[in-house]
Amino acid sequence: MASISIEKVTKIYPNGFEAIHELDLDVADGEFMVLVGPSGCGKTTALRMVAGLEDITGGTLRIGDRIVNDVSSKDRDIAMVFQNYALYPHMTVAENIGFALKLRKIPKAEIKKKVEDAAAILGLTEWLDRKPGQLSGGQRQRVAMGRAIVREPSVFLMDEPLSNLDAKLRVQMRAEVARIQRRLNVATLYVTHDQVEAMTMGDRVAVMRAGLLQQCDKPQVLYDHPVNLFVAGFMGSPAMNLFDATLGEGAATALVGSQKLELPSSLHAIRPALKSYANRPVIIGIRPEDLPVAGDEPAAIDEAVYFEGDVELVEALGSELLVHFTTDAHRVEAEGAKDADSEGLSAGALTKGGEGVARVEPRSQLVVGRRVRFRIDPARFHFFDPASGLSITS
Amino acid sequence: MATAELVHEPRARSMAEGSPGPIGRDPNTRHFARVGWGFSSPAFGVIAAFTIFPIIFAVVLSFQNVNVTGSGFGLQGFTTANYHAMLTAGLWHHALWFTTIYTVVTVACELVLGTVFALVLERLTKGRGMMMALLLIPWSLITVISAELWSYIYNPTYGVLGEIWHVITGASPPNLLGYPLDATIALMFADIWKTTPFVAIIVLAGLVMIPTELFEAAEVDGATGWKTFWKVTVPLLRPTIGIAVLFRVLQAFGLFDLPYVLTGGGPGTSTQSLAMLGYNTMFTDINFGPGAAVAVSTAVIVLVMCLVFLRAFKQQVGKETISA
Repeated sequence: MASISIEKVTKIYPNGFEAIHELDLDVADGEFMVLVGPSGCGKTTALRMVAGLEDITGGTLRIGDRIVNDVSSKDRDIAMVFQNYALYPHMTVAENIGFALKLRKIPKAEIKKKVEDAAAILGLTEWLDRKPGQLSGGQRQRVAMGRAIVREPSVFLMDEPLSNLDAKLRVQMRAEVARIQRRLNVATLYVTHDQVEAMTMGDRVAVMRAGLLQQCDKPQVLYDHPVNLFVAGFMGSPAMNLFDATLGEGAATALVGSQKLELPSSLHAIRPALKSYANRPVIIGIRPEDLPVAGDEPAAIDEAVYFEGDVELVEALGSELLVHFTTDAHRVEAEGAKDADSEGLSAGALTKGGEGVARVEPRSQLVVGRRVRFRIDPARFHFFDPASGLSITS
Repeated sequence: MATAELVHEPRARSMAEGSPGPIGRDPNTRHFARVGWGFSSPAFGVIAAFTIFPIIFAVVLSFQNVNVTGSGFGLQGFTTANYHAMLTAGLWHHALWFTTIYTVVTVACELVLGTVFALVLERLTKGRGMMMALLLIPWSLITVISAELWSYIYNPTYGVLGEIWHVITGASPPNLLGYPLDATIALMFADIWKTTPFVAIIVLAGLVMIPTELFEAAEVDGATGWKTFWKVTVPLLRPTIGIAVLFRVLQAFGLFDLPYVLTGGGPGTSTQSLAMLGYNTMFTDINFGPGAAVAVSTAVIVLVMCLVFLRAFKQQVGKETISA
């Protein structure tokens, strides 16, 4: 049992590429910390540095009270789950799980018991004599987990452990991994590019981009209060709608495309800094679920703001409708916020120009080509500085 | 022969699974079968004339009382005397013993050295291609040429080895090829020098196939470099090493050109391999029956070794899917 403390850790590769710049991150004992970001943001490098598989160029890395910058991987008392599991193909499931114990010269009977216990937790008991090649993807994933938990390490490291599973299994294993982590109560650093995994699994989530930590907080805080455009665009699917806007005199209005939105004084009360952006451009953001169709909104909204668009496409998901609408406002894409996986889906294929997405009640009466009117709670708006990309909060 | 089986077996199986139905029913299939046989027949003809016929003829010769005259062979009736003479002759026993020891020692040394070279090459980040090219020079030399080179090196009068010996000890250099044990070691050394790169390249190919994560996983699991090598690297290299050993044993057991040039089988007959014995009996002593018996017996020994080997390794070759 231990915590992980990453202080101003930097990674510069021999070719001069700086993969990580002064990363500060603390994982408390028993905490499930998810490191999330698009491909190439340095999250895997950070994890591998904690694992001891990658040299640390600068800064201090502590596991527990011990500085481990120059401690080799095998002496750090960590367990790691690899993206493609890295099971030893020539060993049985039992041998794979027990390998680390065997290396520590633990008596055979004890190894057997521990392996069986781990197998019972993971539902692997009947597969103990199989080789990894004879197992399904999900089972291999469990073996990789088993190999990690049997050692009772002080720290768990997981490198996209679910990314090789199919969608259904991934959802199932997501819950299972989280359950096992709670049960063992070991500090865990979990790397993923999937923001849904990050949101659902992490006690806290650290969002990284281009080697820099953007924000680290509880998932709901990240979602509700993103510090910048990148986090706003990265967390949430479909992504937050972001439009160029210009605030009017006293920041009492916002011009989004040709629509003039009246910003009530209650909004200024919670975001006083907005006043300083009077007569200046800003980026205005609204989550798809905060765009209820006028008349359908669950509770009456005081001082509601209306926003209109033309329905272009309606996707019925059963529990909700995803309404793609167009406006004459200029849509802002948070740079690098979308990973390669989802690139085609979000921006390219469906969204063009001033398109937005709303997530509305399934019984809303919407006709493609008709105008739709959204009734927005002004408190749900996000504002960003177009120059710095930072959220205009206080 | 055995290696061909090893390589083609899975392909043959997949073809059988993919074939539309029994050959010969559908006129189209029959037509293709005829065309296929048509195209294959020249090859079959060549194989029959130059491989199958000589094998059968050698077997027949080995069981015949062969009389060679100016007008050709005279097969004068069935006899087992050729085999009887061979099995009771000291020469054959010695050649078998020499060939076996030679094979075991050279293949073992080449395997160990080749694996070490492969491990070093795998770690090289810079200049790996150049090192491989340099390493392959001995392998690329024709055996007869490298045997000539070694005979210069070993020569007691003007050889470089003798000169080094002389400079260091001041004594006159020994005649390395003049004593049975020395000559055997000299031969083995020349063979190991020449063939280790071949083993190294095969093992290297197997080594680069092992995913890096496995080594990282072993490190995280707490394995030292030594443990990782024995518990992860070697088991995963077993199929590759198996192939390398198979090739090498087959080659080493047919040893001929190196001793033929370097020692001439000498001193005396102490470095005479089975292949040399067969050749000498047949073409030097013009004793075709006994010579054929030696050749056939060698072929049988090699065949049996291959079968035993394949049986031992069949469990592993191709079955250990390394992709995790």
